[in-house]
Amino acid sequence: MARPAKQCPFCESGIRAVNYKDENTLRRLVTEQGKLLPRRMTGMCARHQRQVGTSVKRARYLALLPYVKGYQD
Amino acid sequence: MRDYETVYIFDNQIPEERINEKLDRYHGLLTQAGAEITAIDHWGRRQLTYPIRKQASGYYVVAQFKSDTGQLPEYERLLKLDEELLRYLVVLHEGEPSAPMSIATRAPREDDDDGEEED
Repeated sequence: MARPAKQCPFCESGIRAVNYKDENTLRRLVTEQGKLLPRRMTGMCARHQRQVGTSVKRARYLALLPYVKGYQD
Repeated sequence: MRDYETVYIFDNQIPEERINEKLDRYHGLLTQAGAEITAIDHWGRRQLTYPIRKQASGYYVVAQFKSDTGQLPEYERLLKLDEELLRYLVVLHEGEPSAPMSIATRAPREDDDDGEEED
């Protein structure tokens, strides 16, 4: 019954701090509209999910990620 | 002293020498007060994901420095007054690289254990 626990991709690759300038990685952690994916989808540990939240918000402010999709494309 | 990181987004229309001049001016203010600039990384022109002040692209520069907290308000005031700086972000630097690298290409870090405040 119990599903195997997903491993946190950041822990697996041995990364301590999520980088808010790394838009390619962050893009995989948001929906197509640019909303944050929940932890049950990303399989992330609590600490890294928290860091991803802050990172995505910083990346949005710096126009690396969209606040809402659909401006140019 | 703390580690900081600033991301600047400049107006795309201004020439590169002007940008360097501006950076010198900002960083001069910091170094005068005993700060130390540890890295400056020019990403160059890139597309913005949404327009800022009707501009579709901007010139990105990332700078890392060590500074006392006292100098920051004046530094940020200078940034705020600059009309040709579309946007800036000053954050505490947690040891991430200055380049926009992805997980796949990044080499494992050696200094893994500093900057650890949790637990």
